[in-house]
Amino acid sequence: MIIEAVDVTKVYETRGIETRALDGIKLQLEEGEFCALAGPSGSGKTTLLNLLGALDVPTSGKIQIDGVELSALSSKELSDLRLRKLGFVFQAYNLIPVLSALENVEFVMELQGVTQADRRLRATEVLERVGLGGLGDKRPLEMSGGQQQRVAVARAIASGPRVVLADEPTANLDSVTASKLLELMAELNSEDGVTFLFSTHDPLVMEAAHRVVRLRDGLVVDDDRKAQASA
Amino acid sequence: MLLRMSWRNLWRNPRRTFVVLAAISVGIAGSIISMSVNYGMIASMVKTAIEGGLGHIQVHAEGWDANPELKIRLEDGGESVALALDRVPEIESWAPRLRAQGLVASPRASVGIAIIGVDPQRERHVSIAAESIFEGSWITKPRQLVIGDKLATRLQASVGSKLVVSVQDIDGELTGQAFRVAGLIHSGSRDLDDGTVFVNITEAQTLFGLGQSISEIVLVTANRDDIGLIQEKLEALLGEGPEVRTWEQLEPMLIYMVTAFDQMAWVLYAAVFIAMAFGIANVLLMAVFERTREIGMMRAVGMSRASVVGMVVLESAFVTMFGLLLGLLGAAFGVWLMRDGLDISSYAGSLDSYGIAPTLTPTLRTDDLGPPIIIGAITAVLSSLWPALRASRAKPADALRQL
Repeated sequence: MIIEAVDVTKVYETRGIETRALDGIKLQLEEGEFCALAGPSGSGKTTLLNLLGALDVPTSGKIQIDGVELSALSSKELSDLRLRKLGFVFQAYNLIPVLSALENVEFVMELQGVTQADRRLRATEVLERVGLGGLGDKRPLEMSGGQQQRVAVARAIASGPRVVLADEPTANLDSVTASKLLELMAELNSEDGVTFLFSTHDPLVMEAAHRVVRLRDGLVVDDDRKAQASA
Repeated sequence: MLLRMSWRNLWRNPRRTFVVLAAISVGIAGSIISMSVNYGMIASMVKTAIEGGLGHIQVHAEGWDANPELKIRLEDGGESVALALDRVPEIESWAPRLRAQGLVASPRASVGIAIIGVDPQRERHVSIAAESIFEGSWITKPRQLVIGDKLATRLQASVGSKLVVSVQDIDGELTGQAFRVAGLIHSGSRDLDDGTVFVNITEAQTLFGLGQSISEIVLVTANRDDIGLIQEKLEALLGEGPEVRTWEQLEPMLIYMVTAFDQMAWVLYAAVFIAMAFGIANVLLMAVFERTREIGMMRAVGMSRASVVGMVVLESAFVTMFGLLLGLLGAAFGVWLMRDGLDISSYAGSLDSYGIAPTLTPTLRTDDLGPPIIIGAITAVLSSLWPALRASRAKPADALRQL
């Protein structure tokens, strides 16, 4: 098991008004899963993804990644854990605009301390893998949205994370580009064994996922593994 | 990659970077040029004082420091001191003087003055009195005197006029002597131009009944760095008795002004660099705000807070480094433009009492370049710390939510 959440609750307080974004979530993610967190806006998908990605801390409950309890870690240890074990893909791509596609893919590996020669080789391989061979010198703003999101996926998988967390990765893409990105992610999951957990309210993504965890009002209302069986 | 990112981040908004560069370079250049002008003014004051008669070193009889009067004098006419001077090769030239107070009168006015008895030939090599003559000549014949242009105006005298110098001699008797005006000087120093009468030292000695006694020996050296060494050598050679004093000891006010200008420099630097710090901090804060999501992403994927701080500080360091370089070049260019001096003659009337020449030449000293460079670098780091820490403290989840 890579990720386990037990009775996770997240309460936001704004001007004295409490909003319960998550309410006692229980979730386990196994290695090799291709799992979607689905639900309408405000259901708590992004909040849960942030908590599982060690980007935020729950109000109560426990989260473990590879058996390590997150609440026991310092900010620096959490940062290190994200660096070593997690990959991230964001809705708005969030590439570094001053770096080329290749340098963006190298970025996390450099933070990990991988040597320049090794990370250059790996980044080139991964860019080829996501279908962007030959575009390594392009800056993000010189690329289409679909290409940028592929670079983001390449950046997330290049460092060899235990799981890639993707927050609505297709939300900013047209349906054709979204389908191609989903195919790529599914391929990386089935062929390279990369574990994916992504939030979405896109039916296309939910259809492609092997497991769909449905959220509503901060509660898990359904955990459908049938998709995985039929995949 | 941190270096590369910081460098490229600077050029995301070139106009903003150029504005900061301009602010830094103009601040640096302005403060250096301003200090060069100030030091030029100080150098002018010191030069005027030294050349106006102070010399680099003066030797007096014991007790002059406490009581600079006629009765404190070198009785042997400075012979023993002259012997010592000959044994110090660093000394370029020297001259004996007799200093006293008196009254000079023309048929139309009388004025209290300082009487300086000089060896006309030797004095030419230790002060600018002789070369400051703009009408008439230096003392060449008996019973001649030289006065400043302003004193001449007050006395309504000119070259060839007869003036009577009245003094109280060493025995307290009132006595006097008539002299003809040989020449008029204009040195730029109010003391020389308005309050001094130069006469031949032998005539002064006779007038005061002093025999061969003199008040002082003034000496100059080709290299001002040798002044301390010369003082040490002379003190060793002369032993107890004669007082050997440098121009700094004789005119502590000049040193006080030099120190005051040095302190003013720090005030100026503080003002410029505080303004610069706020400018850098403001621009970096804007830059960091604009990149909140990006920095949130970097933190999310595992970039440490220290690296975020380092990235922002490096951006500041880059822009400051270039700003400093441009500022230094600008300062050098500005000083070069003013190499022939600034004409401040319209203020000369009020400045000449301070010994400031009517043409001010900025003096760029290499020692003065250190403080702005060092303080500039420190300012860059300190002013970037606030935005850098602010950027590093943002929670990744919150930062990623920012639009």
